[in-house]
Amino acid sequence: MTEPLRLAIVGHTNVGKTSFIRTLMRSTRFGEVSPRASTTRHVEGASLKVDGQEVVRLYDTPGMEDAMSLLDYIEQLRRPGERRDGPALIAQFLDSAEARGQFEQEAKVLRQLLASDAGIYVIDAREPVLPKYVDELEVLAMCGKPLFPVLNFVAGNDDRSDAWREALARRGLHALLSFDSVAPPLDGERRLYESLALMLEKARPQLQRLIADRAEQAEARRRSGAKLIAELLVDVTAYRISVAPEADLVAEAMRELRQRVRRREQQCVEALLQLYGFDRDDAVTGELPLAEGRWEEDLFHPETLKQLGVRVTGGVAAGATVGAGIDLMVGGASFGAGALLGALAGGAAQAGRQLGARLLGKLRGERVLSVDDAIIALLALRQQHLQRALEARGHAAQHKLNIDDPRDADWRKAKLPEPLTKARAHPEWSTLNPHARPDQADRRAAIAAVAKLLLADRPDA
Amino acid sequence: MTAKPPHALNKLDRLWLAEAVRLTEAHAGQLEDADANRHARARGGDLEQLILTRAERLAERDGLRTALLHWRQAATLVLLALAVFAVFTGAGLAAAALGNGERPVNVFWALGSLLGLHLFTLIGWLLGFASGGGAGLGRLWLWLSGKLAHDARAVQLAPALLSLLSRAGLARWGLGLLANGFWLLITGTALLVLIAMLSTRRYGFSWETTLLTTDHIVALTQRLGALPALLGFPVPAPAVIEASSVALDQEAARQSWAGWLLGAMAVYGVLPRLLLTLLCGWRWRRGLRRLRLDLSLPEYQVLRTRLQPPGETLGVSDAAPDHLPQPPPVIAAGTGCGAVLVGIELDQDRPWPPPLPTGVADAGVVSSRQQRQALLEALIRQPPARLLIACDPRRSVDRGTLKLIAELARLAAATRVWLVAAEGADPARREQWRAALRELRLECREEAPLTWLESGHD
Repeated sequence: MTEPLRLAIVGHTNVGKTSFIRTLMRSTRFGEVSPRASTTRHVEGASLKVDGQEVVRLYDTPGMEDAMSLLDYIEQLRRPGERRDGPALIAQFLDSAEARGQFEQEAKVLRQLLASDAGIYVIDAREPVLPKYVDELEVLAMCGKPLFPVLNFVAGNDDRSDAWREALARRGLHALLSFDSVAPPLDGERRLYESLALMLEKARPQLQRLIADRAEQAEARRRSGAKLIAELLVDVTAYRISVAPEADLVAEAMRELRQRVRRREQQCVEALLQLYGFDRDDAVTGELPLAEGRWEEDLFHPETLKQLGVRVTGGVAAGATVGAGIDLMVGGASFGAGALLGALAGGAAQAGRQLGARLLGKLRGERVLSVDDAIIALLALRQQHLQRALEARGHAAQHKLNIDDPRDADWRKAKLPEPLTKARAHPEWSTLNPHARPDQADRRAAIAAVAKLLLADRPDA
Repeated sequence: MTAKPPHALNKLDRLWLAEAVRLTEAHAGQLEDADANRHARARGGDLEQLILTRAERLAERDGLRTALLHWRQAATLVLLALAVFAVFTGAGLAAAALGNGERPVNVFWALGSLLGLHLFTLIGWLLGFASGGGAGLGRLWLWLSGKLAHDARAVQLAPALLSLLSRAGLARWGLGLLANGFWLLITGTALLVLIAMLSTRRYGFSWETTLLTTDHIVALTQRLGALPALLGFPVPAPAVIEASSVALDQEAARQSWAGWLLGAMAVYGVLPRLLLTLLCGWRWRRGLRRLRLDLSLPEYQVLRTRLQPPGETLGVSDAAPDHLPQPPPVIAAGTGCGAVLVGIELDQDRPWPPPLPTGVADAGVVSSRQQRQALLEALIRQPPARLLIACDPRRSVDRGTLKLIAELARLAAATRVWLVAAEGADPARREQWRAALRELRLECREEAPLTWLESGHD
């Protein structure tokens, strides 16, 4: 087994070193993050693994806070006329009493950098290039280890990346990367590892493995997410409740239908969160669209549809209640002969049983409630937004999302795609119905088809 | 630690348990799995191995494993019962077809009763196979096994097995193996019993018809006998067939009829079932060898992050100090004269200094070490009566800057800090500045206290 590549994450205090590591680890369970300066006061290790094997080891270090005084002090250590190189001076500093006194934090950083293969210098790109940062770089450079600058907080419009690039270039640091740990670019991790592989020839095989593995996992997550959403859509589309036509019974059944659909959506949300490695009680989760008001809006409230731009028609638009369900028996234009034919084609036995149940229902004067097309379109939109948000999100923190995604256009028309309309005729596909048969090959095929559509909605995938 | 379980699980069992656990979790939410995950990680292996180990551990804890063993026992019992039933059915068929020997055997009735049900179910099975539906016998077997297992946990097992097998397209081969094996046993037993009875008893053979002519009967008999004849079974000669409208008391005629009947039974009864059993068995075994967990299932992707986390915390390697060095609270200098404004680490694009009242000296913006040194030296030479330090609250509060502020304040008779207004400043950071300056016992303002700077009072 090859040794893991050891990287010390260094930088000024409060530039997001711990957040950077969290994002690379895809975990919010590392260290402590706060807007307070000097939150991290210790050195903590984290390993990045591929197939359970450690390939890179990251060290979170305390922030540098007083590099100017430290540089003064180190220059005092150099006796006149003496020619000692940086590492020797650093070694002498680390032996001095001050390394355990006022420069204890800085000593920890330097000690860790010396023990690592390279350092990643994290920069808050919103800051001007102040002399204290330049002094910091000078001290770090004395360790004689390769330094790779990473510009954090570049997602806002107040960043000064250009000034930083120039300043770093003047100090011979030409390779650098913009990597916002809150909203990392989709290929950010790959570019980071590729840049490191260029700089650290020896570590290239490990980094290549890491790149391949992370890309594969991202793709697998995207596919799984689409499958989860597709399953939700099929479940909800195929869901139906039969009820006697008395008004209070219908109202009761409608309440139940809504309640169960809401619960089913929540189930999907939780599965997506888990898939992307977020906990429900993560601070980050609070910032997701789930709780940005928009999400708390009830699924069945007309306003929610309007906000997501789903086109609604007729009674739904006018009525105070949405998703009242298409009355299959009375108004059932959308569930008419076509769907019945589909059911007949789908399997004689089932169709017979369904037809029987429907005729029986008709004789009894029962009404069948199901979920409106617009609501299903809304579910598709909401869940896709959530998935996109989770994808584009570092395990660091807070950032608003863009609701207006042109890729949503088809869903906004509230016209269901073909595999979903087919689900209308198959109540046994919905796990919300009694006598569900979720393992049917047809249902699996429909879910796969819907998932494919969801993935195709997104050309970046 | 529990003792080594009495029955080891084979590959199918382990996959089956994993599927049962997956279905349970999909239905009832994630199980409490910290221990199982630890156990799986300790055992190691690739993701599939980890998931299987985890599932087995969970299944053991929740009694699912025992249920599976019970189920397997029950399934074996049901299988045995089915086999016994098949043997008796086969023997019964043969005996019924030949009758008690007092009356001649009606050859077409005998053939019909031997092959009729078999051909009927064979066609049914083929149709079901083509449309992907399950075989009734297979379902009966699963249902009976579940009933017999007498374990509430076993309820989840049959759906899990079906789901696992049908996803791999294996269910129909497995059920086909069962159904065809069952019928192979029936037809095989019937053939053996026929041979035994025909060897040890004397039967006369005849045919009867009302609608058909003798020519039809001859043609039918020869056509049915053509295929068995290829394997060496005798076909009665046309003369014999014609003469057999009443049972002939000739040894050759009896033997040729008996051979014809055995041939038809072997070729139309036993042979197709044998071939189908072999085919299903081959596909079943091959499929079983190739059976894997479907790792693309969302549930397994979620498990992946738990079983093979992309990153893991290694713990603190260099502990935090008990306390950080803090500059002591500022004790102001005794006296001084004049007023000075200095900016610390301000942006270069900020217009500086602001319009100043007369008598206030502007010490510029201090950022670098040289600037710091020069300012400190100037203040030592000429301590000011009032010093106003302007800071940008967007900077994070670091020890170096605080130390500088404290050093400057010590050189002046009175010092205030001005947190200059800055767009986009984080209120939390502003609050940190205030707290840090409180520690130093320095007054801080959001508005420029220029009046104070000029005159010494607000």
